[in-house]
Amino acid sequence: MTASRRNTSQRLTLVILLLASITVITVAYKGEARHVVSSVRNGAGDAVAPVQRGIAAVLHPIGNLFAGMAGYGGALGDNQRLQLEVGQLRRQLIEAGQAQEQLDQLRSDQNLPFADGIPEVLGEVISSPSSNFDLTIEIDRGTSNGVGAGMPVVSGAGLVGSVISAGEHTAIVQLLTDPRSEIGVRFGTGDVAVAVGQGEGDPLQLQDVSETSVTSRGAPVVTSGLDVAAYPAGIPVGTVSSVRHTGGSLTSQVLVTPLVNLLVLQYVAVLQWFPPA
Amino acid sequence: MTMRTWGRLGIIVLAAVLVQVGVLNQIVIGGAHPDVFLLLAISAGLVAGPQRGAVMGFTLGLVADVFVQTPYGLSSLCYVLVAFAVGLAAGMVAARPTFGFQAAAALLGGVGGTLLFAGLGTLIGQPSVPRHQLVVIVAVVSVACVLLANLAYRLLEWAVAVAPGAHHDAGAFAGGSAR
Repeated sequence: MTASRRNTSQRLTLVILLLASITVITVAYKGEARHVVSSVRNGAGDAVAPVQRGIAAVLHPIGNLFAGMAGYGGALGDNQRLQLEVGQLRRQLIEAGQAQEQLDQLRSDQNLPFADGIPEVLGEVISSPSSNFDLTIEIDRGTSNGVGAGMPVVSGAGLVGSVISAGEHTAIVQLLTDPRSEIGVRFGTGDVAVAVGQGEGDPLQLQDVSETSVTSRGAPVVTSGLDVAAYPAGIPVGTVSSVRHTGGSLTSQVLVTPLVNLLVLQYVAVLQWFPPA
Repeated sequence: MTMRTWGRLGIIVLAAVLVQVGVLNQIVIGGAHPDVFLLLAISAGLVAGPQRGAVMGFTLGLVADVFVQTPYGLSSLCYVLVAFAVGLAAGMVAARPTFGFQAAAALLGGVGGTLLFAGLGTLIGQPSVPRHQLVVIVAVVSVACVLLANLAYRLLEWAVAVAPGAHHDAGAFAGGSAR
């Protein structure tokens, strides 16, 4: 009798908790509650930021060690700021090469803005993704520093992602490898496509690339800045790592390796640029 | 549960937040890191049984979801199921779970909880994680759960303040004897 009552009680508790969880997911998904959740998350991020900053300063080398053990780190430089500068030079080279080839065409056809001249806010990465199922990082700059949701984030070598949420002193950056990330890009002889993230460590995939598009391995890929794009034009995204023409299809499969090593980021720059309305 | 229990749980949750966001998030192996909240949910099921463990799992999930960008409430849903299942399994053991049992529960809970999170996330519209990456995540999370299982168990045991050998309400639901 007691056992039966206990069984009923346990089942009832389980059902109530499951329904409560589903209700929370549903309510928090949209509307006012979504903003409340976002505010709470930003507030919590700000609250723990000092701890994260302190511990991150100590543990970044350890994190790099683990990243290296997993085969991603390679020979990491001791000075991340120098790495940033080297990356900036690489970015300038690619930008210059790309610009030389397409400058006239871009200006005459699109009148696109360029990433150069956009104010930047330098920030330090204080946390890797808190969940294994979202590819985001947290930086130590927020709205009080002029950082806002939607702003592009770059590192020395190129595009890192964009700010999806900003608290007063911290911001969450969605990495370009996140499967929810979609970036308008230009490549080859001026072809445009959408680069979609495929997850941690995987190359981006260009969608709907015509079979007639001309590109090859190693070709640079930059943001297109077309229409209401989320990024200004001309930010280096990566290089083409694979081009596959499939028989019977009108499209090619093009993969792009990001220029930035997203596993060992320490400093990033937020471009104070908002997508056009 | 008494106020003292909730107070102690609060301390553990606060410590878990600091450990997760300050330390474990920095230890990335192959793109994945350990998940201390899932481990605590597993331990809650072990220590407190399916009913109270599920309540603790729900609470842990609500806290954990504050620090991630995945849908709010998804962790709660997973932790409730994991804690309940582990609690049921623990109910089949007459005595205090041995270290081996704790490790096995942590391993299975880590694997099951991670796959559950991925599966439920996909069901509600989250982008699916590539299979090879999911394997890495499952491996890292479950191995970390095994390594930290005994520590988490002892912490939860302290919070719930149970006497060894009389530590949860699992038996009846699982078909075992009610203690």
